[in-house]
Amino acid sequence: MIEVRELTKRYGDALAVDRLSFRVEPGHVTGFLGPNGAGKSTTMRVLLGLDVPTAGQALINGRPYTSMRRPLHEVGALLDAGAVHGGRTALDHLRWLARSNGIDRRRVTELLERVGLAGVARKRIGGFSLGMRQRLGIAAALLGDPGVLLLDEPVNGLDPDGVRWIRELLRSLAAEGRTILLSSHLMSEMELTAERIVIVGRGRLIADTTVRELAARYQRGVLVRSSREAELAGVLTAAGASVTAAPEGGLTVSGLDAVAIGELAAGHGIPVHEVRTRTASLEETYMELTAGDVEYGAGRRAEAVR
Amino acid sequence: MSDALAAEWIKLRTVRSTPVILAVVLALCGAALLLVVYFVVTYDSLPPEGRARSALSPMGPLVEMVASLAMAVLGMLAITSEHATGMIRATYAAIPDRRRVLAAKAAVVGAVALVTGQVTVLGTAALEKLIVAGRPIRGQSAQSIAEQLPHILAMGLMVAVFALFGLGLGAILRSTPGALSTLAGLWYVLPIVVNNLPEPWHEWVGSVLPGALAGQLAGTGNPNSVYGSSLPPAAALAVMAAYAVVPLAVAVHLDRRRDT
Repeated sequence: MIEVRELTKRYGDALAVDRLSFRVEPGHVTGFLGPNGAGKSTTMRVLLGLDVPTAGQALINGRPYTSMRRPLHEVGALLDAGAVHGGRTALDHLRWLARSNGIDRRRVTELLERVGLAGVARKRIGGFSLGMRQRLGIAAALLGDPGVLLLDEPVNGLDPDGVRWIRELLRSLAAEGRTILLSSHLMSEMELTAERIVIVGRGRLIADTTVRELAARYQRGVLVRSSREAELAGVLTAAGASVTAAPEGGLTVSGLDAVAIGELAAGHGIPVHEVRTRTASLEETYMELTAGDVEYGAGRRAEAVR
Repeated sequence: MSDALAAEWIKLRTVRSTPVILAVVLALCGAALLLVVYFVVTYDSLPPEGRARSALSPMGPLVEMVASLAMAVLGMLAITSEHATGMIRATYAAIPDRRRVLAAKAAVVGAVALVTGQVTVLGTAALEKLIVAGRPIRGQSAQSIAEQLPHILAMGLMVAVFALFGLGLGAILRSTPGALSTLAGLWYVLPIVVNNLPEPWHEWVGSVLPGALAGQLAGTGNPNSVYGSSLPPAAALAVMAAYAVVPLAVAVHLDRRRDT
């Protein structure tokens, strides 16, 4: 389990994380979402004891990372796949990591197989593509078979096959009961992988919810088309719904779901041509939530905020 | 601690810079010995008054200087290359106790440098002795290798001190160019400056420069050099320890509050 409590991190004048609190429970993938500069990577660095928090706490399994003696058995992390010594081979890189936490050498070979790098194990990392480095980073994160995984933008630079591979891997790791925090600035990625979602903007918490709840919260009524719209509007209003004319034609109904609308219309013998529940896509919802928090927004948006 | 030591040992062995630096040191030892061979051949062809005029300094201190600089670079790179690539984050994620990381690096780098220093200084001095083969060349010691051994061992030790100094400097500055220029200043520029200081400053400052310590530790002093000889052996040893330990201690202190 991951627990961030009232975490604040300041770099000089810049406030990167501002009293952020959230928890990540085991058993599913939790998305950590926010625009660039929202404080996702900073939070992860503080969780791993790499950066010192200005205030607040970041705990993994109830204690600070820096108190762990062989942390790779508890926590696996992929922060920046490029942060490796290019002159070392993939095998040697994983060997020193394994050795630093008393992990058996066979585990290294096993993971190189699992991430599909067995064939290039003795090649220098400097010649690897970004996708291969991501795979190496995943192997490094999994070395100690940890119960908690922190992954910062792991699908960056991967081809579609690689993206699918990571998604399936993460889902299977979560199904084994692990705690997984996966950061991304792309909502579309989260829709496919994550169950819960923590959204941050400018270092502050914007939402801590499930993907399903988020979709439901931003549901935008039901669109109904009929040849007798005025009559139908009367019936629906009488049943307690609020009805407005939709800009694209037809009626926007809120307060009643599609089933109830269909039943009412049938009961009154009113023909219905279309009944469609309108949901904002998660991507739209996310853009809306974070619109004010984009660090370097386009000019138009910046004007609107002012 | 043994985990950290083993991990740092793998790291040091698996980067190209390590064999390259060791090869450079060996090549320079070879070049020094070639110089001795060339001198001896010329010496033998000279008339007696020519022989009396020519002189050859011993190669041990030269090799000590070269090996010291090379091992200091080795120590420096052991930490600055990790900062440059960002790999230091993987290191601290694997071993969150930064003192343990630095101690392991110091042990590994120090051991490699100690062996390198002893082997190259002793080897060069012994081969030089063989090549000179008892010729009464001015500048060359009349003492046997056994008699010179304290000075030779002290020079080899100084190579390890320099390696730890480089590691400490790298850990403080976290940047290869920064640490390298500081090192070069101390190793090369400072002795020139000291050479031009008036007495008694010349003698005092000249006695605590890295190059002055091995001679003072062995009790032979530093005749015919820019260095002073005012420290007794115990004080020279203490100054050597300070060069090795103080930068590392400063780095440990700074790293308690520094981000990576």
